[in-house]
Parts: sequence; structure tokens; C-alpha cells
Amino acid sequence: MPEFRPLLARLKSPPMQVRGRALVLLATAACLLPLLLQLPRELGIGFGVAAVLVAAVSWRRVPPMLLRLLVGIGMIVAIAAVAPGVGRDTACAVLAAMLALKPSETVSLRDGRSLVGFALFAPFAAFLLDQGPASLLLALLAMLAALLALQQLAHDEAEVRMPGAAQAWQATAGVFKLVLLGLPLALAAFWLFPRLPTPLWGLPERVVARPGLSDSMTPGGWLDLMNDDSPAARVQFFGPAPPQHQMYWRGPVLWDFDGRTWHQLKQWRFQQAIPKRLKGPAWDYVIEPEPTEGRQLITLDLPDQVPKDAFISHDYSVYSVMPLNNVSRWRMRSLAATTVDPQLPPILRMHALQLPRGFNPRTIALGRQWRREAGTDATGNADAAIANRALAMIRREFAYTLNVPLAGRNEIDDFLFDRKQGYCEHFSSAFVVLMRAAGIPSRVVTGYAGGYRNPIGDYWLVLNSDAHAWAEVWLPRRGWVRVDPTAAVAPERVFDTLADRQPGRIGGFDGLVPMFNASDWMRRGWNDFVLGFDAQRQQRLLSPLGLERIGSRGLILLFAVIAALALGWMGWLLARGEREQDPLLRAWHRLGRRYARRGQARGMHEPAEAWAERVAADVPRAGEHLRALSGRFSAARYAGIGPAELRRLLRDLAAHRP
Amino acid sequence: MIAWLRRRLQSWMRPRQAESLPVRLRRNRIYVLPTATGLFFALLLGTMGLGALNFNNNPGLLLALLLAGAAQASLIAAHMQLSGVVVDAVAADPVPAGEPLRLRISLGARDQRMRRGLRISHGDAHAHAAFDHHGGTVELPIPTGRRGLMPLPRLELRTLQPLGLARAWAYVWPRQVALVYPAPEMQAPPLPAPAGDAGRAQVTRAGDDVHHLRGYRAGDAPRSVAWKASARRDSLLVREYEQHRSDQLLLDWPLTAGLPYEQRIRRLARWVDDAERQGRRYALGLPGQAPVPMGLGMAHRHRCLRALALMPGEAAHA
Repeated sequence: MPEFRPLLARLKSPPMQVRGRALVLLATAACLLPLLLQLPRELGIGFGVAAVLVAAVSWRRVPPMLLRLLVGIGMIVAIAAVAPGVGRDTACAVLAAMLALKPSETVSLRDGRSLVGFALFAPFAAFLLDQGPASLLLALLAMLAALLALQQLAHDEAEVRMPGAAQAWQATAGVFKLVLLGLPLALAAFWLFPRLPTPLWGLPERVVARPGLSDSMTPGGWLDLMNDDSPAARVQFFGPAPPQHQMYWRGPVLWDFDGRTWHQLKQWRFQQAIPKRLKGPAWDYVIEPEPTEGRQLITLDLPDQVPKDAFISHDYSVYSVMPLNNVSRWRMRSLAATTVDPQLPPILRMHALQLPRGFNPRTIALGRQWRREAGTDATGNADAAIANRALAMIRREFAYTLNVPLAGRNEIDDFLFDRKQGYCEHFSSAFVVLMRAAGIPSRVVTGYAGGYRNPIGDYWLVLNSDAHAWAEVWLPRRGWVRVDPTAAVAPERVFDTLADRQPGRIGGFDGLVPMFNASDWMRRGWNDFVLGFDAQRQQRLLSPLGLERIGSRGLILLFAVIAALALGWMGWLLARGEREQDPLLRAWHRLGRRYARRGQARGMHEPAEAWAERVAADVPRAGEHLRALSGRFSAARYAGIGPAELRRLLRDLAAHRP
Repeated sequence: MIAWLRRRLQSWMRPRQAESLPVRLRRNRIYVLPTATGLFFALLLGTMGLGALNFNNNPGLLLALLLAGAAQASLIAAHMQLSGVVVDAVAADPVPAGEPLRLRISLGARDQRMRRGLRISHGDAHAHAAFDHHGGTVELPIPTGRRGLMPLPRLELRTLQPLGLARAWAYVWPRQVALVYPAPEMQAPPLPAPAGDAGRAQVTRAGDDVHHLRGYRAGDAPRSVAWKASARRDSLLVREYEQHRSDQLLLDWPLTAGLPYEQRIRRLARWVDDAERQGRRYALGLPGQAPVPMGLGMAHRHRCLRALALMPGEAAHA
């Protein structure tokens, strides 16, 4: 970026030496790396290559302004092409572009220092996109490189010359020493500096969303998600866990269908459920969802109790009050309820029967035909019969595949009557349309199904590839009933009981499974202990000592005490550095200071014994003693004495008072 | 205003008066403040820390805090670079006024820490020192203005080590004076006519005819050494030339009558140098003091120039 700095200031700062410049470039590269890894792949690679080229071209001389400007514009255009919009990730990409370009005009010491400073923003920006241990490790390396570069610049400025090999080692050791010296203070601030319970300002959203559930579903649109083996949530049960084929993790519930896409009931979304007394076997668990930046939480079907900062909506979707920007832990309770909402309000009934006009005529005709054949009754037996008939048809004639052609206008018709192949999105969507055509209130529920139990740590891991969609139909007196048409066809695909779908397994080789288990367990610990540390956890920091809550005043006090201790330690190092090394001289000087306070300081030219004589003339009694001591001191200094005698002398010197 | 404030601060800093060497730097006279880069870093880390606290971004917070801790430690390390440094002695050869005095400063340390990039400065002049407990010497040019005894200025010892984020500095003010010769006049008339009995042959080091060889004496010019002859014997031999010229000069104060006071001193200084260069013996007569007797050589020159340098000021003279 062009800078209009006064020429004088630029001239005043001397140019960097070769070694300093190389280290500044290295530090910039190290800072840039964690950020580039978090950008969309094409941008990350492109900017990386551009940064190397820019640094190589401008090593000897600053390339012309026009060229730099063109490269900069090219990078901005690339960002706009890959991720159009303004968001957190595009802002990070712009930062990366600036950093990749900045070395082209870095000449003076001051330029080098400001480049290192700005480069340190890059790992921080990377943390806004990903907070994993790998990012932190890269960032720590970048920090060391930055400190090394700063140190080299300071050496350049002071004309320090050292032989190469010794220098590299000494420089690294010096930087490590500084970090270690600062460590107590840094850790005290990390744990004890009062955290904000709620953020002062919100986190800007990303332009390129991460794969995950969203508030809409287009059949055929989940292929990315179903091939993504990154975790969606980790769950720890207290007490027994439900059997795997009952693990339906409920996410967004979709009501509105426009012929292509299913949507949530937008205006009803945050309508809280009227507290109801559900009955059935209950499960207690803690769920740790990966940050999605949305407010949607997933719970085991059907949520019954959730923490205060979350609520259950009318269709049993659970939302958090704050967006899930960080890892979080939710203590929940779910039930396998038998009767859910036996009364359906007319407005919801209308939504649950809504179908777009002019789409999928064959499906609608089939649904109406089935209704005519089944008749109507108030008990809901006819509705149940229609649902079972649909399930039986699907089980008989349909197959599971992820290999699905692009959707046409009447996608449901194509699926039900011609293709007869698809995956959960198609099955649930077609089933609900068929039910609605037959006059049965129904809705699509998205979420995850199944899970993987990690024997290390004994918790369940839900992957993004476990994403699933199923249906719920409303039957008189029974209320909402879960129907999973996909499970009717391919239960092994839904619950991942096939051996080759186990995480960590490559083909038939499962030697890496223990490693996968261990690494996911460590990642869970990282989420828990490092990322999950927040204001609440900070408050409970002293609970092992019996103090339940610290309170912000107590926290500040504690922080002040620990920080003072850390600073005191640094001060002690200072004082010790200045201290006289020889204990004998130390004791002798202390003695001298005692006399100096009485105006009888020893002159610089004065030998010890001459001084003692002078003092003895003034104060005969103490002086006599001093004369003996100075004689022994001189003997110890110049003749040498045994260790026992030295100890005695030190004691006598310390005890002597004028 | 800023300049006034700076002067006030400077006068407030220790030491406030000259002190006798050796001087050991202790914490009560070492000052540490962040540099501009350091302030920039503080701002940067503050921004990073605030953002991380707001988003409860623990890795970001940890990174910011580690950097802040290292920066804080660098303040301490800068202090340690200075503390324990001992200024053992300073010395300088006299120079003519206007030429920089080359002040040699012997530094040492009583501990084992290595000192690097220690910058010693006065005004615009600076030198860098690097030494461990064996000590080291640096040479610092100090501008001179007037002839006479010049009290040494307060010297600044400064370091930006280890990261350039903090500047630690201390002052040393040696209670010592340096002698500044008068500046010789640039364009002076030739040496005055010789005094005393003229026409006596004189053995000098300059001239055309080789008179004889003699043993080397300290102060002989290297070009008068007879290298070949010296190689044959095992000691240095010096050629002596014979010159038929009367050489006894009396550089007397009245010779410069009519000139302004300071210029008279400068002319005499120039003549001393000229006589020295031509190898002619000279004496110096100054008002109010015993004349410097005839002589030649470095010691004699110093004696004469010193007498000139220490001439009282014009007001006192009048």
C-alpha cells in the first residue's frame, strides 16, 4: 500500500542490514502462514505464492509503485471473486493481501519494525477464523520469529556484530529467555484478568459459511456436508446413553416448502414452547457443539430441559440466546416422549399442510388417491395407515444413493415415480409432500443421526457427515410422531453402522482408529480447557479451594496480587543482577554503609586498615573491634582463609555495629 | 516549550554534578522508557488483547499476553544491560580548538553478563561498545570550542537491546578536564627571523646532507630511520642531517603585536607547529610568566601549547 510519509523521516531511519531484512521477511511469512491456512484454499495458495514472488522481486530494489498497485488491485479482485461480500473472512483476506505486498517497500529499520508489528495481526486474525491447537502452535512460532526479527533489528541499529553460528543460537536463547521471564505475568493475566461475561460488540459474520446445518434445505444440496468428516458436536451422557438407532439429534425444523427448498417458519422461529409435561425415559447429557456462529443448537430428540441461556421453540428446536461464536457446553435433558402436542393450533395445522401450487402434480394426485382409499376417521387410524403405506412403498421400491442428478422442476415427482433413488433429503422431503397431499400435517426435521462413541474419554462424537433429515407427522391424540423414511431403506447408512464409515478408518485398514480416537479426545480437552475458559469458568476458578464464586472485585484483587508477585520476581532478578557476587565483599560493603550513615565513610583511596585506624581514633570502643575486623578482612581478601573461618568472619561482619 | 521541558528533565536526571571515576551504574541512576516502536507495540497489543477479551478468543488473548510479557521482560533486560556497567576511566590527548577531542572511555562490568550495542554519546557524536567482564574501550569524538581546560561533558550511555522496544539510559559525568590547545592560525606569515648567533651549523633531523647515524630515540620520525643500516645492526638507527642554518627561534609575545589578543595566541601556536615541523629549536615568551626555554620535540611542543592554551582570557589580561 502506498504511504505518504515525509521524506525526512524515511531518510532518518537507517536501512536494514541483510540479516535483519531476511529475519523480518521470515517473521512476516511465519505470521502469514496460519492466516493463509484459514482462507479459502485458492486465496491461501495464491497469496502465499504472491508473497514469495513479491519478496524475491523486491529484495534488491523497491519495485515501481504502479506494479505494486496493480498486484494489490489484483489481490482485492481475487478476494471479491472468491468470496463476494464484506465479512470477517474477507477482512482477514484483505489483511493477508496487504501483508503479502508490504515487504516490497520495506527498506529502513523503521519499516522493518512496523512490518513486524502489523504482521503480528495475522495470527490474531487467523484465530478469528479458527482456534485449533495447530493454529496456536503456528502462531507461537510466528511470535518467536517476530521477536527474533526485532532483536536482529536492534542489533543492526547498534552495530552489533557476532559470528554466524553463535549468533543464531544466542539470539534464539535470548528470545526464549524473554518469553520465559514474561510468562508468569502473562499467565496470571490470562487466568485472572476479569473476562467479559457478554461481548461489547458482535463478531462480524463470515462470507463463506462453514459446512453445517442451515435454516433451509434444498434436496440434493447436502453433498458437501455429508462428505465432511469434521465434528459437529461432542456429547457426554450422565447415566445410560440411548441406543444408537434412537440417537436423533434435532436441529432446524422445516415447515415451508416452495417447490424447491424447505424453510423454517421464520415469524414463529423464536416463539417459545409453552412448558409441557412430557413423559418418557429421560437422558441427561452435556453437548459441546462446534461454533457455528448461528443460534441453533442441536439436542437429542426431544428436548425437555435446557439451560437458562437457551430456549425451546414451539417445534422443539432449541436456540441459544447468544450466537455460538465459541465452543460452549450445554447441560440438557431429553425425553423419548410418547405423546407430543396432542392439540395442533389451526395456524400451525395450516402451515403443516401447506403445499406450493403447480409443483409435483403426480405426487399430489397419489396422496389424494391414498386418502380416498383410506377414508377419514377422527382417531387417526386412517392417517397412520397412509403413513405406513408410504413407508412400505419406500421400503419395497427405493434405494439409497448419494449419486443424484440435478433436480428438475418437479423434483419430488421425479424421485418418487422415476428415479426411486436418493438420500435422506429426498426421502424426507418426498414423504412430507406425500403426507401433506393426503391431508396429514407433517414437517421435515433436520439434524444429525447416530454418532460415534470414542472409547477414550467415553463420549459420543457427532460428525457433520452424520447430517440427516427425517419427517414428523401429526396424528390425532398421539401428536407429532417421528417417521424416518430413509431408515426404512438404509438404516446402516443413517446410523453409520457400516464398518467403512467409522471415523479414522481408511478402506479396510483400521490401524489408525486409536490415533483418531486419541487426537479427537485431545481436541475435546483443548476445547474444554483452553477455548471454553470464559467469564463463568473464571468465576469458579477457586471452587476447588471451597470458594464457589470469586466476584469481579475479588478477581481484580487476586490478579493484582499475582501480577505484583510476578513484577516483584522481575525486580528481584534486577536487584540480584546488580548484587556483588562475592559474599565477603558484600558484607564488607554493608558494614561500610553503616559507618557512612554516621559520616565516617571509607574514602576511595583508603585501604581497609587505614580506615579502621581513622575510625578508631574517633570512636575508640567500636573502632577497636573494627580494626580487628578489617585485619581479618584483609587477611581473607589477600591471604585466603578456610571456609569455616570465612563463615565466622561473615557472621562477625554482619553483627558489627558502629 | 518541549525543549524547555527536556532541559528541565535533563537537569533533574542523575548525576546532577560531575563525579570521580570509576563509576558503577546502579538502578537509582538508570532510566528506562519505551521507544516509539515500543509504544506502537503497546497500542497493537492493547488492540489485540481488547479484541480477544471481547470475543473471549483464548488463543488470541494468550498470544497477546505472551507478547506483552516478553515486551515487559525486555524492559528489564534493557535495564540489566546497563546496570553493573563500570566506567573505569576516560582519557584524551589534547587537540587544537575546533577539532574533536577523541575521548577514550574504558568500560567494564563486575558481572558475567555480555553487553552489546551499548551506545555512548554526547550531542550528535556516538560510539558503540560491546564487552563482557574483561572490559573494553571506545573512542568518542567530542567537539571542542575554545582553548583552555575543558571540563568533560555529561555522557549518555544508552541501549535499545534486546528488542528495540525499550530504551535504557544513564548518564556519566566524569570530574575531569581535557586540555584544548589554541587553534593554530590558518594563514600565518613565515617564522620570524632567528635570534641569537647566526650561521652556526646545527645538527638536525631535517636537511640534505647526512651527518652521521645515531641510536633511535623516542619521538624520532619514522622516515628518518635508516632501515638498511638498522637491519645490519640489531637496533634502530636514525640518520642525522647537517644543515647550515641558524635555528634558534624565540617566539616572543611582542612579535605578534598589533593583532587581536586571541589571534596573537593562535599565531604563536601556528609558529610552534611550524618550528616543530621544520625541526628548529624554539623558545616561547609569554607575558606574565617565565619563558619556556629552547627546545624541540613532542614534550616541548606540549609545554609551549599548554602555556598558550592556559593564557588568561582577554578581559583578565587587559
